[in-house]
Amino acid sequence: MRLVSLARSVRWLVMGVAFAGAALPVPAVAQHAKPAGNPGFEHVHALTVAADGRTLWLGAHTGLFRSGDGGRPWQSVKLSDKSSHLDVMTLVGDPRDSRTLYVGTHEAGVFRTQDGGGSWAQMNIGIGGVDVHGLALDPNEPAKLHAAVRGQGEGVYRTTDAGGKWVRVDDGPAGEVKVLASVNISTGMGGIFLYAGTAEGLLRSPDCF
Amino acid sequence: MGGLPTRRTVNGFAVNPENPKVMFAAMRDGLFRSADAGESWKPVGTALRNMAAVAINPKRAEEVYAASEDGTLYVSTDGGATWTERR
Repeated sequence: MRLVSLARSVRWLVMGVAFAGAALPVPAVAQHAKPAGNPGFEHVHALTVAADGRTLWLGAHTGLFRSGDGGRPWQSVKLSDKSSHLDVMTLVGDPRDSRTLYVGTHEAGVFRTQDGGGSWAQMNIGIGGVDVHGLALDPNEPAKLHAAVRGQGEGVYRTTDAGGKWVRVDDGPAGEVKVLASVNISTGMGGIFLYAGTAEGLLRSPDCF
Repeated sequence: MGGLPTRRTVNGFAVNPENPKVMFAAMRDGLFRSADAGESWKPVGTALRNMAAVAINPKRAEEVYAASEDGTLYVSTDGGATWTERR
């Protein structure tokens, strides 16, 4: 366990804080305070704008929602006939194809649509768990994605065929991952950076695991 | 250096596709913007709190959307400088 912790701390560096080692007291208010606003979402987890520049997708505790007009109005989109209310944790669209969207869920892994949400396929071959907290798409190679999995099979997984098959490549950052993104900044080592928003703050790592 | 609340949860994150050094972080404390790949951050939309997610329009990178935990949607059309609630 110690070796794992050390590897994580060396690879994933904290960003944006002057003194990363100095912890602030944890606030007394719960992180997941009961929502007071839009009753349809309960708790928002993710938001993305499709490549067409018009379609917004929103992931929430109560599922996936789409708007064709900048958030007015939202329509519920069903991912699966088996589960009517999947907890949508993360979303990422293909920057070159507005019809393709990847969705990470709390209880059923990764889904993909290639027709703008009309039909969905589960894309979980090789993923060791079902609780997907982050999906990042490489802007230079849209078929290459990374997924952050929590709980069983925890770690970072990579696909190079648009979700056809995943391979575990890293333990991932310390702390619960909330969001994952590929950032098109060269590492100088043949890759780009993965940024992770976590319960510990913002961290980044070269994606050449 | 600095500018992000220390050891607090980053719920949402978005990167400008035209200039990937420009990025946003959504946190309970508000919404933050960096122009140097995350080294330093400044709060934007000072009235925004309990932010859950943020997204940039790939067609118009100055158009930024942010959602609070309860689902209130905000939009900026000037790269995050000013924000209005989307009703």
